[in-house]
Amino acid sequence: MSKARIVAIDDEVEFIDMIKTYFEPRGYDITVAVRGTKGIELVKEKKPNVVLMDLKMPGIDGDEVLSLLKSMDPSPKVIFVTAYDDGGKTKARLLKMGAYAYFDKPVASLRELEEAVNKAAQS
Amino acid sequence: MIIIFQISVCIVSVIFLLLGIYIFFHNKNSPVNRTIFILDFATFLWLYSYSQMYVSESYGKALWLMRIGHTGVIFIPILFYHFITVFLNSHYKREKYILVGFYTIIAIFILMLYGSTSLVSGLYRYNWGFYPKAGKFYPLFLAYFLLGFNFCICKLYVYYKKNRHDISATRQLQLKYLFASFFVTTLGVVDFLPFYGFKILPFGYVTIFLWAIISSYAIVRHQLLDIEVVIKKTLVFAGLLASVFAILVLPTLLIQEYVFRGASSSGKLLGLALSGIIIILSLRRIENFLISITDKHLFQKKYDYRELLRTFTSEVLTVIDLNKLVDLTVDKLTDIVKVSSSAVLLLNEEKQQFNVVASRNVRDSKVVLVRPDGIVTFLEQTHGYLLRKELIERRVYIPPSIQEIIDKLNAELIIPMVLHAEVIGILSLGKKKSDEDYTQDDLDIILPLARTLAIAISNARLFSELGKAQAEAAQREKMAVIGTLSAGINHEICNPLGIARGQCEAFLLNVKDGLYNNKSSEELLTKAKEIMTKVIKETDRATAITKKLSSFAKPAKGEAELVNIDKEIDDVLGLLGYELKLEKIEFEKQIEKDLPHVLVDKKQLQEVLFNLIRNAGQAIGEKGKITVAARQGAGRVSIDIKDTGSGIPEDKLKELFNPFFTTKEPGKGTGLGLFIVRQVVEKNGGKIYLKETKVGEGTTFTVEFPVTATRESRI
Repeated sequence: MSKARIVAIDDEVEFIDMIKTYFEPRGYDITVAVRGTKGIELVKEKKPNVVLMDLKMPGIDGDEVLSLLKSMDPSPKVIFVTAYDDGGKTKARLLKMGAYAYFDKPVASLRELEEAVNKAAQS
Repeated sequence: MIIIFQISVCIVSVIFLLLGIYIFFHNKNSPVNRTIFILDFATFLWLYSYSQMYVSESYGKALWLMRIGHTGVIFIPILFYHFITVFLNSHYKREKYILVGFYTIIAIFILMLYGSTSLVSGLYRYNWGFYPKAGKFYPLFLAYFLLGFNFCICKLYVYYKKNRHDISATRQLQLKYLFASFFVTTLGVVDFLPFYGFKILPFGYVTIFLWAIISSYAIVRHQLLDIEVVIKKTLVFAGLLASVFAILVLPTLLIQEYVFRGASSSGKLLGLALSGIIIILSLRRIENFLISITDKHLFQKKYDYRELLRTFTSEVLTVIDLNKLVDLTVDKLTDIVKVSSSAVLLLNEEKQQFNVVASRNVRDSKVVLVRPDGIVTFLEQTHGYLLRKELIERRVYIPPSIQEIIDKLNAELIIPMVLHAEVIGILSLGKKKSDEDYTQDDLDIILPLARTLAIAISNARLFSELGKAQAEAAQREKMAVIGTLSAGINHEICNPLGIARGQCEAFLLNVKDGLYNNKSSEELLTKAKEIMTKVIKETDRATAITKKLSSFAKPAKGEAELVNIDKEIDDVLGLLGYELKLEKIEFEKQIEKDLPHVLVDKKQLQEVLFNLIRNAGQAIGEKGKITVAARQGAGRVSIDIKDTGSGIPEDKLKELFNPFFTTKEPGKGTGLGLFIVRQVVEKNGGKIYLKETKVGEGTTFTVEFPVTATRESRI
């Protein structure tokens, strides 16, 4: 089984770089964007299985991107990786909106993130 | 010449009456005062009747006036005796027989005076007027008079001899004064010479007048009643009387002499009416004039007190710096009251003791008055003063510990500074340089002054506490704000650390999972170096933000330095950046090239920028733009903080800089923001104002600081 195709959207270049450092050697097809709009274009182009995404970004926010992606066909699984913390309210809202998973920044374990990505790609 | 004699006798008699009344009403309960009043009244009776007798034309009338006047003379020795007894605090009981004897003799003499010619056989007519002629029993009266008088002097002398080692210096001085006055009075016996046909002007009234002045002085000192008042009032009264007399008599005489020469009584009445009008019109002015004359020429010290009050109200009591206030108090008191030493002690609430906070010429300024100490307790319970001399006079036992405090303070007068019935401080004054005692007049000025000082001191304290409270409020506000920043700070610190961790974890997992197996060790080393460089960069990022935060959280030192505005904006943005990002607020910085540094407290400038940028962000809410523009012009650096927020409604503009004003939702702001911002800006020599605002479009605040070429302390 081929590895999942990932699009990562985060305005923090350093974070994106770190994600690439992990996923690329493992054979994942990962492309990155620092803006929501650019990310949507990438999704349209690459048709990934999974989108890793920050919530708060300049321009369009993660939740807006999510609703746009939900309307797409095929629709990629969206995993949020964000530092935004309001006591779980936003997390619940995003999951309800159809997000596949929600990871807190800083990421506690890259292995867990990878497992979530794989699970999302398989489902 | 004769008329002057006649008038002066009359004036002196009236002065006696007034003096007696004054002393009586000054302290009705004092036996000394009452006795003096009666004595003065007897003297008045004598002198007034005699003055009328001198100018009397009719023999019969003069005879009656003589009898009334002489009645006063008969009473004088017994009244002297009463006075001495009361003054020396002797008991009448023991001297009952003497008194009975005295009054029996008086009764006999009065009977002889009114009922026969045996005491006074008639009247001489001298050039100064009628005068009594001694009858055959007059030598008896002379004997009674002189013996009575000498008895009084003896009594004084015996008392002095007996008690001179026990009595205070003041008391000794008083006795000396009384001796002197009695000796002067004995010269008054010349008044008896014309009784026997010797044509010598009876100037006894002068000696008795001197007696009155000297003895009043002695007694009044004893009672702490200022002699100046007595003499001044006496002089003013005398002058007034003389003026009134002159005004009354002169026009009457002139009118009678030149206008109605030989005219009927209606002419005299007209003259009287005219002079009456003149008196009514000029009385007040004459009185004021006389008071100012006596003030100016006789009692220049009074001006010092005016100066004292003037200096204190205009220069001292207005000072709000506590240290300056007490220093000035001590200096001015010492200079104006001319005291050898002075000190201000204030209550240290914690230690419950009074410490010297300012002093001049005290022996030991480290002296401490503990709360349950004798002096403090006395002052707290009585709110009165403590006069060392008075204590000695009253023979109050002064414990050595208190004596030591008094000695160390070099104190003569110790006064509490009372506020709301509590002694907040103590004022200590040394002896006057002139060696004079503190009089009631001094106390009447210094005691209220001490009370006013208490208010001024409390004001100064409140003011400094207010300053502290404001600084504390600013700090609290800052900490509260930092609390609300936690989400952003968490992100700014944890994210770089998370990334650093992730880079390491990725590398390690990649190695562990054999993903780098095909790589040469050189390639692997390059990879590791790459990762480490990234890790260092991320940890540096995290460290920078914690440094910014802790620096911002520390209270300002209040020290000015040359500060780069551009850099401070960046630092503040480091704290606020994430928050603004979350709300999608764009931030733009427009800093003029070569913008000079400003001389301010760096942290306070940060606080100002932080508050204004954060306010701007909150005014926007979500999505908008903040522009911070700094430029130089007209010797100032201006910083505009412009937002595209909601703007400020017109009705709120006035309250903008008031404490506790806020338009924010509860929990978002305590309202101290702009109030404190303005205080901080002004403290740094700058100013802040609302440049423009429009509801729905946005607001611009401008902060200006002067460009200072030289480094000078501004705060």
